[in-house]
Amino acid sequence: MEKDEWVVLGIGNPYLQDDRAGVVVTERLEALRLPCRIEQLLTVGFEVLDKIRGASRAIIVDACKLGNPPGSILQVSVEDIFSSHHLVNSHAVTLGTTLKTGMVCFPDEMPKELHIWLIEVKNISEFTQIMSPEVEQAVGEVVKGIQRLLTEQAS
Amino acid sequence: MKKIEINPITRLEGHGKIAIFLDDSGNVDDAFFQTVEFRGYEKFLQGMPIEEVPRTVSTICGVCRGVHFTAAMKAVDQVFGVTPPPAGRKLRELFFNAHYVEDHTVVLYALGFPDFVVGPEASPAERNVVGLINAVGADVGREVLRKRGLAVKIFELLGGKPSHAVSAIPGGWSKKLSEEERKQVEAWSQELVELGELTLKIFDDVVLKNDKYMELVTGDTYKVEVGYMGSVDPQGLGTFYHGTQKVIDSDGKLIGTFEGKEYLDFIAERVKPWTYLKFPYQKKIGPWKGIVEGPGTNIFAVGPLARMNVIEGMSTPIAQKHFEKFHATFGAKPVHHILAYHWARAIEMLSAAEKCLELSRDPEITSNEIWTKPTSCTGEGVGIIEASRGTLIHHYLTDEKGIVTKANLIVSTTHNNGPINLAVKKAARHFIKNGDVSPSILNYVEMSFRPYDLCLACATHTVTGGQSPLEIEIFDKDGKLYKRLKNF
Repeated sequence: MEKDEWVVLGIGNPYLQDDRAGVVVTERLEALRLPCRIEQLLTVGFEVLDKIRGASRAIIVDACKLGNPPGSILQVSVEDIFSSHHLVNSHAVTLGTTLKTGMVCFPDEMPKELHIWLIEVKNISEFTQIMSPEVEQAVGEVVKGIQRLLTEQAS
Repeated sequence: MKKIEINPITRLEGHGKIAIFLDDSGNVDDAFFQTVEFRGYEKFLQGMPIEEVPRTVSTICGVCRGVHFTAAMKAVDQVFGVTPPPAGRKLRELFFNAHYVEDHTVVLYALGFPDFVVGPEASPAERNVVGLINAVGADVGREVLRKRGLAVKIFELLGGKPSHAVSAIPGGWSKKLSEEERKQVEAWSQELVELGELTLKIFDDVVLKNDKYMELVTGDTYKVEVGYMGSVDPQGLGTFYHGTQKVIDSDGKLIGTFEGKEYLDFIAERVKPWTYLKFPYQKKIGPWKGIVEGPGTNIFAVGPLARMNVIEGMSTPIAQKHFEKFHATFGAKPVHHILAYHWARAIEMLSAAEKCLELSRDPEITSNEIWTKPTSCTGEGVGIIEASRGTLIHHYLTDEKGIVTKANLIVSTTHNNGPINLAVKKAARHFIKNGDVSPSILNYVEMSFRPYDLCLACATHTVTGGQSPLEIEIFDKDGKLYKRLKNF
């Protein structure tokens, strides 16, 4: 892993309509051949740490369901999505908890710059690779936003 | 009648909630665990070439990806009437056992241990994996996570792709292991054994040496008397990848053993109108008797505790010593104390690690003979494995070209639906008295279903606020809300 490497991690199930938004963003970024390492995960958990540890900068793109209008784009911090409360009957760990765990256990290996982009979903119950129009548009905007960020950093 | 609802809207495993009904005296009349979401992968698979199914079903769940992949590939072997050569099977087993170590590690450290290490009555702000690491020290946390990462490396090396494996082929495995890779896997596996031993030491120090916790573990509050099912090898020892399914009743009496499609002779499913999750029961014991425990019940459980109850011993030496200590502690077999699931899980984690080490040292593991070429299509296959959270059954029918015409998946949480409902009701009855509902009961009720490590149609994983909201609503007998407790 290179010292100043950017890693962009897309999270989502590629078969579920809007849930796939994060993965689609990374697929499109990969096609643009930007100066970054692309990673994908179908869900969160400690695997997130496996993907971003050692990189100096990281961007995580995931779908969210927070009650905003579908297609809304949110940029949040780890603190915004870290639950101070215990997990409920889950057999996995939330993104916020995972990142917080990484900061406690691997303070020197976590990216010094971490961007978390969330896209509000409309439909996550259909098995289709066609996203809702609102989410499709948001994916395009996030791709442009990340492209801009990477280009600015490179220049 | 008053109604309390615990509504866990989790990020991963779909939506479920717990509804607790109080009588006029404020004591628990009944309690239900409901699954309020339906996902329908079985329908989605119809029309798909069967050889594509393992890769596809691995996306059912981002956590249990390896178990669906493995159950499906075993079913695919049957559809094409082929048996993998020894090295192909051993590579599959190595892959699967590495997945076990990773999965059990996460469940124990993120979900099971915080209740004990941080404390069941500790502030929710501390009772999580971060609180756990603060309690045991960042050095221990770092080492556990690093070693867990080695299990993932084995999983990915053999699986051929990060996170979701692609190496399964009908009749074998497509990824050979070079000698250099074997040495690496052996070194990693040695560290996984150390992880297993460390985990059991933590459990010993924190739980077994704490009288208050042992009272909880061995007491009646978290005790559910049901039958059990799990895989055994020809010697009666535990096996995860492949074995014969052994079924016992709540007294430990053998009901029978089965393989493959014979599951239909042993397991029937009952549908209830208030949940999408069916209720499997042992049909050999008799017709549906309801969600009841004790002698004569035909409700059964699967998973780590169930396996401890059906097997004669562990197939690996160090885990076997812990198996003996486990049963010596409880005395009678079967063990019905559900908090013992966590202990059983830790023993299995060590056993899976030992298995990885054993397989990595097997000279045959680097053989080039890892595939038996299929030549025909039988049109039907059943793959049964012991997933980390319990028996998993994949049953497929195909046409003569191997296109899926029907799929039936019975997952561990479905098997455990009856016991989970019984456990929730028992804990609720113990902790809710005379209408007194304090916030701390949330965790004590959660502790009744957490051992089962629920997985509810977990393909969806959208962020729900970065936290896992839990809500209890209490209604008076007229249905009017008079109190709400929530953790968000």
